[in-house]
Amino acid sequence: MDEFQLSEETAFVVDDITTIIKDTVQTTIGSSAYQQNRINQWTSSVVETSLNQLSKLGKPFKYIVTCIILQKNGAGLHTASSCFWDNTMDRSCTVRWENKTTYCIVCVFGLAV
Amino acid sequence: MEEYNSGEEVSFNADEASVSVKEMLDCVVFLADWLVSVSQCIEGIIGGLDYNQNKVNQWTASIVEHSLTQLVKQGRPFKFIVNCAIMQKSGAGLHTANSCYWDTATDGSCTVRWENRTMYCVVSVFAVALTC
Repeated sequence: MDEFQLSEETAFVVDDITTIIKDTVQTTIGSSAYQQNRINQWTSSVVETSLNQLSKLGKPFKYIVTCIILQKNGAGLHTASSCFWDNTMDRSCTVRWENKTTYCIVCVFGLAV
Repeated sequence: MEEYNSGEEVSFNADEASVSVKEMLDCVVFLADWLVSVSQCIEGIIGGLDYNQNKVNQWTASIVEHSLTQLVKQGRPFKFIVNCAIMQKSGAGLHTANSCYWDTATDGSCTVRWENRTMYCVVSVFAVALTC
């Protein structure tokens, strides 16, 4: 029972992280329309707030958070990532979010220390 | 008197300092080399081509795999993450940002932006030092 609890506390829990990211993006962008002069602020806010929330989890991970915000106008966008790490301990998760005028893609990489 | 320390433990060690500077310069050269090799890799894979919905999947996968292979070949004690985004040029606004919670003394990242007539390509690499 103790060992299970210990691994829960040190594991990268995708569901928890997905919830944190979705809430952050919703709070930052919400239903606002895409605006060129605010987008800088949005991307910075999303990554900083997400990172803040992740570090508060107190888990033994280094985190990298990337955020892409794209205006909806029919353009194609494709992203990929490849990692050279410890397959047993390190994890990533990607959250896709959209509203009427904007797409937002956030990737979180967690590397065990 | 017996408690007096010889002072060697607190003196400036020029040899150690020059090793650290050398390591930093090594790292800069390593990243500069990588920047050049990833730009060449992108040029080699999508150089004179137009954005193609059917092929973009394949292109992003090739770019990240090729870049990662080049990095790993250097034999450095790092974990690596390589990220690539390809976007069709159509006037849409695109903005990317990243933020990292890590050891700023040993970990680092860099980004390459590339474009041709019909698409943009942004490749980022994150390097996290191995602790053991």
